[in-house]
Amino acid sequence: MRYSGFTYGLFFLLCAEIVLIGCDGNTSEQKQSAAIQVTDFRGKKLALDKPAEKVVCLIESALSGIYMLGKQDKVIGIPGDVYRGETWQRYSELDVRIREKSLPTPGNWDFVSLEQVVSLEPDLVIIWSSQAQAIENIERFDIPVYAVMMHSLEDVFKEIEDLGKLLDAENRAGEILGFTKDQLKTIAHDQTAESFKTAYFMWAQGINETSGQNSTVQGLLRYAGVKNVCDLHDEHATINIEKLHDWDPDMIVMWYNEKLDPADVIENPLLQGLKAVREKQVYELPSAFDCDFWTLKFLYPVQLIHFWAYANQDTTAKPDPEKLLRVLYNQSQSDE
Amino acid sequence: MNRKFAIFMIYLLPIPVLLVSLLIGSSENIGISDIFYLFFEPRDSSELARSIIMDIRLPRILLVFITGGMLAVSGSVLQAIFRNPLVDPYVLGLSSGAAFGAALGIATVVIPVQLSAFVFGIVAVGLSWFMARKNKEVSIVSLILAGIITNGIFTSLLTIVQIMSDPFKLQGIVHWIMGNFHNASWDQFSLIIIPVVIGFVILYFFRWKLNVLALGDEEAASSGLNPTRMKIWILLAATLAGSAVVAVSGIIGLYGLIIPHIVRMIFGVDNRRTLVFNLLLGGSFLVIIDNFSRTMAGFEIPIGVFTMLIGAPFFIWLLKKSNIGWQQ
Amino acid sequence: MATIKPIIETNGLSFAYHSKTVLKDCTIQIPENQFTVVLGRNGSGKSTLLRLMAGLLPLQKGSVRIDGIDLKKLNSKQRAGLIGFLPQKHKAIFPFKVDEVVLTGRAAQVRMIPSEKDRSIRDEAIEMLGIGHLKHRIYSELSGGEQQLVMIARALAQQPKILLLDEPVSHLDYNQQIRLLRLLKKLVTNGKSIVTVLHDPNLALAVAEYFVLIHEEKVSHIYADEANYYKWIQSVFSCDIQKVEREGVSFYIPRI
Repeated sequence: MRYSGFTYGLFFLLCAEIVLIGCDGNTSEQKQSAAIQVTDFRGKKLALDKPAEKVVCLIESALSGIYMLGKQDKVIGIPGDVYRGETWQRYSELDVRIREKSLPTPGNWDFVSLEQVVSLEPDLVIIWSSQAQAIENIERFDIPVYAVMMHSLEDVFKEIEDLGKLLDAENRAGEILGFTKDQLKTIAHDQTAESFKTAYFMWAQGINETSGQNSTVQGLLRYAGVKNVCDLHDEHATINIEKLHDWDPDMIVMWYNEKLDPADVIENPLLQGLKAVREKQVYELPSAFDCDFWTLKFLYPVQLIHFWAYANQDTTAKPDPEKLLRVLYNQSQSDE
Repeated sequence: MNRKFAIFMIYLLPIPVLLVSLLIGSSENIGISDIFYLFFEPRDSSELARSIIMDIRLPRILLVFITGGMLAVSGSVLQAIFRNPLVDPYVLGLSSGAAFGAALGIATVVIPVQLSAFVFGIVAVGLSWFMARKNKEVSIVSLILAGIITNGIFTSLLTIVQIMSDPFKLQGIVHWIMGNFHNASWDQFSLIIIPVVIGFVILYFFRWKLNVLALGDEEAASSGLNPTRMKIWILLAATLAGSAVVAVSGIIGLYGLIIPHIVRMIFGVDNRRTLVFNLLLGGSFLVIIDNFSRTMAGFEIPIGVFTMLIGAPFFIWLLKKSNIGWQQ
Repeated sequence: MATIKPIIETNGLSFAYHSKTVLKDCTIQIPENQFTVVLGRNGSGKSTLLRLMAGLLPLQKGSVRIDGIDLKKLNSKQRAGLIGFLPQKHKAIFPFKVDEVVLTGRAAQVRMIPSEKDRSIRDEAIEMLGIGHLKHRIYSELSGGEQQLVMIARALAQQPKILLLDEPVSHLDYNQQIRLLRLLKKLVTNGKSIVTVLHDPNLALAVAEYFVLIHEEKVSHIYADEANYYKWIQSVFSCDIQKVEREGVSFYIPRI
């Protein structure tokens, strides 16, 4: 008797579950007549009646974009990582609130404090689209969410364009996008009929960590006029050292690395068979902030890599990051 | 008198714990006055305070309470039916099985999350039991060793699901393996409440029979019970409640081991009484731990970190203290 | 023999663990309200016989009737009302208190939690064994003899007609052995039927009214008979035993 009761209970539970799963739909309706409409990286349409005024931005690279657009006054919450190391120093020069650490940090790439986000009462939250559950929770409070995921440098363009619309800075967005694209054209123009050099990109975690064809690294190397040796499709790939020998790149480009220098890679006994190592064609990107290629600052590493690859062939001058950043952060007039 | 006071305390404990926890949070602009207004002068309370307390803090606190309570209850029940004071949902691999099942359910969409968590929770416990069983006997230590293997298998499978799945769907692997509540919501609450209630009611019904089962199979059979059949039902109920909470919280290690022992030290071993005490103390204590986890640092520390750090020395102490030989 | 009705009857009972036969074609009757002792060497199938009669092992071949009813037709609740079983040695894992352990004997009658009536039956059982002073002690902290008494109280709380005991005295000191057997004897006068496995032929003869002898797969059942006892135990234990008589009482002492 009591066992059959349990069976019914279980059956009931299953039914209830199916119903619950069925209801799990999207509750936020879309306003068709809204003044501002963009589609974010999830493919979700975002509609605002007026430009966002209170923005919680939980992505450091998008935060850079907002500063480039000159809309930092709208930012009311930033990712916690900004208050650390070089990033903090660099932002301190741009914003006194960050220097004094007075801007709230309701989350980072991994974690979001729903409570802090909600209590800031933002009218826009910018967040990685991988934080699906956090997005769901924030949207439940009727707070618009712009979710970001970067797979190419074109995604960076799209992000800046969208941010321009959302933050009422379309002109400025057009300006810096135009500048960047022009600069890229000069590099493309520089490319001679000479066969492409090949490059291996090495992330900070170690020599085995690289990025494949479907990644921002791929775009970066392509714009720089070199060929990514990694033929895998992954955004992030861990490869075997033997594989690297098969590819035998002309040069190795290291992401900014606190532990290793090009000299360490050149002396690494495991890598002596590589052409790039024998010819000492190993380079390190000088700064995570200046070279961040999830922002328009990718222009600088593109120029650098191109310079490293072809400096002896054409007349390209060594790129100057300060000049670039001044343009991107619009600091030519008001240099503080 | 002393015992009566302790019982009184444990029934009362959840009320202040839950109320104080409502006051604790990362947002500074919510205070006692907001809670006061919310409950006594709802018209004067601000929309923001209402939203933060009712839609963010309350579901989280309730979810944590239920999770803690259910882990403790299923821990004590598993200890009784396996006659092994060193097991809990984590040690037996139930948690990692359920976490894998839940992740699989989320990643594939087609399989209901709770059902998948339940099925793999059962599979994991069955696997541990099957591995530990030799000559129709399951020794205390071999069951723990088998649990380690099961845990390894299912955390590996969980990692595979994590790697293969669309990053849009699944939260970070560390959230599954160390437990986390920062995505708590009423949706999650409503997702677990049905299996948890069903599981608990069944266990509550069997609460005294657990004493009989805890004496041993032959003893239970000679006094007219069918131990195998009864254990299966109890195991299903404990797994139903346990896997439901794991599906939303991730793996909270060793928690189901600590609480039943504390309850036993204070109130004795009679499961007729301790089942409810486990629920109340297990719930309250995890809410307290979670308060630390959400306020200690600017970011959130996974709650499983705390329970493991408390639980591991406790486990060793139990192993040394009890006269459990390695052979039996 | 015909005057006393058998409370347990087995018919052609055989049992094998995997391929090893331990009991073969065992047909015996055990009389009601008597003290029956099972004698046999280790591995001869004594425990198996007791477990088969208690319904704790599946019947492979043959049948068992308890109080005239086929064992297979009894549900667990009815069976618990007829037979109480005391396993050889109980291993305690959790520190249950004595009264909690004894109360579990009521399991078959309890739907969810024990009632007031169940508790008073428990207290009667505890009183009957004279262990009232142990009631609130922790079972696992008691001496072997006390633990055995608690487990018997637990079996009595079940209120069975028959009590099957598997070597109840083997872990006890001499004093405890005597006290326990005296108590079992008292239970027989109170109307219970007792079947117990014993190893010491002197103790067995002192208490038994009826014997079940197991020797080389042959099971026989017979009333206690001092005249033939010497012959039985010599064949059952297959060793050299001498009989000493003093003041009309016989003692059986091994020659070592």
